[in-house]
Amino acid sequence: MKTKELMVVQIWHNIFAHSRSCPPEAARNSEAFASLFLNTFIEYRQKKPLKCYAIFFSALFAVCCLLSTAVEAKIYIDITSPAIKKLPIAIQEFSGTEGKQIADIIRDDLEFTGFFLCIDRAAYIESSAEAFNPKNWSVIGAEAVVKGTVIGEQNITAVVSLYDVFEGHEIFKKQYKTGKSAIRQLAHTIANDIYKHITGEEGIFGTKVAFVAEDEGKKGLYMMDWDGAGVKRLGIKGNFVLRPHWSQDGSKIVYSSERGGQWGIYLLDFTKMSEKKLFASRGLNIAGNFSPDGDEIMFSSSQDEMYGLYNLRISDSKLTRITSARWIEISPAVSPDGKLVAFVSDRGGTPQIYIMNRNGHDTRRLTFEGSYNTSPGWSPDNKKIVFVGRVSGKQQIFIISPDSSEPTQLTDKWNNEDPSFSPDGRFIIFSSDRNGDSSIYIMRANGESQKKITPPWLRAFGPRWSPN
Amino acid sequence: MKRIFLLVLALVLVFVFAGCAKRAVTTPVEQEAPKETAQKAAPVEQTPMEAEEPVMAKAEPKKVETMPVREITEAKSFQFGNIHFDFDKYTIREDAKPTLKSIADWLIKNRDAKMILEGYCDDRGTNEYNLALGEKRAKSARDYIVSAGVTKNRLDTISYGEEKPLCKEQTEDCYQKNRRVEFVSGKAGK
Repeated sequence: MKTKELMVVQIWHNIFAHSRSCPPEAARNSEAFASLFLNTFIEYRQKKPLKCYAIFFSALFAVCCLLSTAVEAKIYIDITSPAIKKLPIAIQEFSGTEGKQIADIIRDDLEFTGFFLCIDRAAYIESSAEAFNPKNWSVIGAEAVVKGTVIGEQNITAVVSLYDVFEGHEIFKKQYKTGKSAIRQLAHTIANDIYKHITGEEGIFGTKVAFVAEDEGKKGLYMMDWDGAGVKRLGIKGNFVLRPHWSQDGSKIVYSSERGGQWGIYLLDFTKMSEKKLFASRGLNIAGNFSPDGDEIMFSSSQDEMYGLYNLRISDSKLTRITSARWIEISPAVSPDGKLVAFVSDRGGTPQIYIMNRNGHDTRRLTFEGSYNTSPGWSPDNKKIVFVGRVSGKQQIFIISPDSSEPTQLTDKWNNEDPSFSPDGRFIIFSSDRNGDSSIYIMRANGESQKKITPPWLRAFGPRWSPN
Repeated sequence: MKRIFLLVLALVLVFVFAGCAKRAVTTPVEQEAPKETAQKAAPVEQTPMEAEEPVMAKAEPKKVETMPVREITEAKSFQFGNIHFDFDKYTIREDAKPTLKSIADWLIKNRDAKMILEGYCDDRGTNEYNLALGEKRAKSARDYIVSAGVTKNRLDTISYGEEKPLCKEQTEDCYQKNRRVEFVSGKAGK
């Protein structure tokens, strides 16, 4: 290539490489792009000059358009990369009543993910009322800033802006309307939108947790927000209940409950707020989870002196027996893609976790370490199974791959049980007695940042994260 | 040619700058009412432990059903003591056999009597597996009584696992108390 053509390549490369706005892939490839175009150009210039110019520059134009659209979806944190640098973010108190509460909830939500470093408000130079000035924020190390205004008492309107400090301007702005009673949901929705904008992924801040809690000697079903707020009791009957399972669309839960001397399987439909008995008999009937389409559930039953894992179709109550065993077989967990079932069996003498196909074939053992492994639960991407294993007489939480590789212990003190993944697979919720009576905790899926979320006056167990 | 080339290159540069500099600024007209909790349960009270609007089961009958009650010679669980088990085991121990024998004798004498055997565990271990273990314990006790000459249908079993503990201390003594089968007389379960 001649010198002048080389210059064009250099200019092109410099534009892409040094503009912070353009995706790094474009920068890396720009030099190759430019060289390729120029070589083709030179080749055809000899043969058909005009046509060649026309094609060449149309192609350039098209590439630029493509790049410009790709550039709009800039991702600030790639949360799939193994080594993440936390993004320093400033979440300023919103102006108006409830402004502080909303901003605090957003800050707590983002902080918990571990991807953000929320800068202390004591360090802020700019006040809520002042307009955004990037200089005020770059000096304290913030890379992103959230500001907002709240208007209204009963009917609230919130306008939220997200600023990029390096770019020096607003990159996201949205208006929200809600009633005063839904302030927390509003804050969580805003946190989800900010999270999505910065990481490209859906946040879990609007999710709920269904769990079991004790009240005057009886055990009932309860619900709360993912961060432990808004604890409420679901008024179902019966004195004892085991931890519920959510359908994948979040519209219903299934659970086992003891009523009148029998353990039965019950369905609670949230859209109608009604409960339906699906199955009851002598013996133990312990609910497993739903099939992906939500029309079937698996459960274990010892109704006829033998154990069995069963499939029940809710729409027509069709019952299919999947396994039959003289030993204990319980806790079936259908994988999110519906293909496999993890379950607990003591066919080997002690309780261990096994995996089989949904039709009951090809059973193989999953856990080989320790003498007591129970409570399997799948991650939403089908790649990990979380379970409880006994270590030195205490229950601890582990994760393992479905091919039995990479068993990893996540907790190590006191008793930690009933683990369940968050819908984005990044967090695990569980119960622990480390603070005395059983409480519910959340942690990141690698075991970091274990935090209690239930109030101290509640004895709580068996949490299950809602899918949405 | 050279001039045209440079001119078009300049045009291209303009496009490139325009493309790269664009930022998405969503205009403030989106109205969004965040997902209401209505789809899940009734709105929340602030006071703790308040039972919220109860789940309405379909068509709850208001009248009280009369359950047939058969008078049976009084037999509460304290008439026969509980039998106990080793940790994680459901085999009948030697110290349980006298109790089981006397229950069998009583049932043989009282031909109409039925009994419910309730199996329990200490609170170590998973709730679900403990339910299964409790049931195994109840069934072991039942099988022993059956082998002493009592028909099986007079003995019903249920497990409560780690529920309804007799004590809550985390001591070996308390754990042992909880690993039990209780004998409750009355009509067998449905």
